[in-house]
Amino acid sequence: MSTAIARTCCLLICGALSPQVYGQYAVDTDKPVWLRALLDVRVVHAGPAPSWTDRGPGKTRYGGSPTDSGFERASRFVLSELAVEVGATLPWDIRAQAQVNVQPDVADNYRPWLVQATLRKEWGNEGLGWGLQTGVMSTPFSLENVGPAWSPEFSISAAALDSWLWEDISLAGAEGEWWHTTRSGVKLGALVGAGYGGDQMGRLLALRGWAIGDALGGINGDLALPARQERTDIFNERDQRPALYTWLTAGDEHDIASLKFGFMDNRGDQREAGVWHTHFSTVGLVLHPHPRIDLLVQYLDGAAKVNAPPNDSSISAVYVLLSHHYRRQRLSVRYDAFRVHDLDAGPVSTSEHGNAVTASYLVQMGLRHRLAFEHVWMNSRRLNNASLNPTPDGWQMSYRFRY
Amino acid sequence: MHRHNYQRILFVAAALLLVRPAAAEPSISGTVTGADGKGIADAVVFVLAPTPPAASHVAPQVVDQIGKAFVPELLPVVVGTLVRFPNHDQIHHHVYSFSPAKTFELPLYKGEDAPPVLFDKVGVVKIGCNIHDWMAGIILVLPTPHFTVTDPEGRFTLRDLPAGTYTLSAWHALSKLKPEDSAQSVQLSQDAAQVAFTLSLSAARPRRAMHGARVEP
Repeated sequence: MSTAIARTCCLLICGALSPQVYGQYAVDTDKPVWLRALLDVRVVHAGPAPSWTDRGPGKTRYGGSPTDSGFERASRFVLSELAVEVGATLPWDIRAQAQVNVQPDVADNYRPWLVQATLRKEWGNEGLGWGLQTGVMSTPFSLENVGPAWSPEFSISAAALDSWLWEDISLAGAEGEWWHTTRSGVKLGALVGAGYGGDQMGRLLALRGWAIGDALGGINGDLALPARQERTDIFNERDQRPALYTWLTAGDEHDIASLKFGFMDNRGDQREAGVWHTHFSTVGLVLHPHPRIDLLVQYLDGAAKVNAPPNDSSISAVYVLLSHHYRRQRLSVRYDAFRVHDLDAGPVSTSEHGNAVTASYLVQMGLRHRLAFEHVWMNSRRLNNASLNPTPDGWQMSYRFRY
Repeated sequence: MHRHNYQRILFVAAALLLVRPAAAEPSISGTVTGADGKGIADAVVFVLAPTPPAASHVAPQVVDQIGKAFVPELLPVVVGTLVRFPNHDQIHHHVYSFSPAKTFELPLYKGEDAPPVLFDKVGVVKIGCNIHDWMAGIILVLPTPHFTVTDPEGRFTLRDLPAGTYTLSAWHALSKLKPEDSAQSVQLSQDAAQVAFTLSLSAARPRRAMHGARVEP
């Protein structure tokens, strides 16, 4: 009896004297549903030609302003991106994830675009496994868009090649993936996917050409076309033929080097009015010769064809990106070269060629904040533009908040 | 020859006397089970009271990062412990914690680049990676060096405790019970003591690591 009383007293004393200690052991457990967001605001100084997003001939995301005598440079404070991501872990370890983006300049309004809405299930582990994913998604080909909310990791703007992949392609479909690390330490991966909605894919390249930016296309979005009132749908399905794509990767187990090959064919039926048949191959090389250095090289080559009007074009682009990072800071330099070649010599040529140099400096401040500065020197010549080089150079300074 | 045999017998006898086992330290063992009677793994059983004076030297501990996961995912330590966070993945991690018991971050690094972190306040420290959302771990900072983690069957043994009266508590990351609700007083004499804890756990669906082309840099 006395022992029981002593125990009770001991517990009461412990409870009375140290409630603050007990409270410290509480755990804020992970919720099955999570929410993240990204806000990117910028001061931009570009131009002088108005950007393609304003139906101008400019080839960067932000451009100048029209005047009575032509164009002039302009400085602006802009909301570049508000991204909201929501995810959930469902029964059977199925991962659901969705992302909507507000990009007022690209969308021409504040309507959110659905960038991603997927269900994903994986089996196995890092050494050997496979996965299935279905829903609304872009392709996996961009080597740069691996940052938060699919933003470019190494600079503010992605290369022309990756900019197009993310702004113009949004499919509703499914993909299967397999990965394996061999005993000799070679990491292999194979992804095969199919999706609807790519029937206007390539139209943007033929009518606008390559551009440098960081906008993410959404399945409910459309994009401006230079000197036209109409816009081109990102998701457009007319022939009921799904696009097919594959992405093959091989690398060493230390991730010093990895080689990637992709192929996509939207299998557009040109007999259907307004359907573009676009296909391309892309090969990429990612090198990490030093833990703080990233070297990316990617090349894309393909064609975009349509029955009418005569805008058939071959497309090609390449970039080399060198990036050095140390703790919170990253310095990147990228060289882009791109080309569109008019294949059927229509009345309005789609031909263009150009190159660009991009220099970026990024500083991460804590977990939530990032400051970045970027300067783009671009030399773009498009035959049907009055201005031969509408975007000689421009800079932008970005503040990004990540929740 | 005989002389050698005598010497050998004497040597063995002396050795046996010297290595005779000392009286074993009493220990507290027991189980942590759920409401369904099944054992609960990865519960931490620790001495809540009395709290010993702070030790002059505490062995440093390690939380590794392997395969986009913290290893171990649960690390109980005594207050004042230095913990290193090496990254043995081939990708960068950005370890952080917003927990009141320890707020810190180790910006992007690989290998052994990150300095150790001192856990100098009692409480739960949830750690994560700013790059890989699913990576999660807990460092449970305790006021005592007397703690243990249950095995997969929910069994535990607390050793090296001198005889006395102790208040023991069982903690689990998903426990619905506060530690005071599970606390039990134990009288430890020369004999081993037995304690049984019953915890009610909330449902959890931890995020699994993601693999594949879309998450590989």
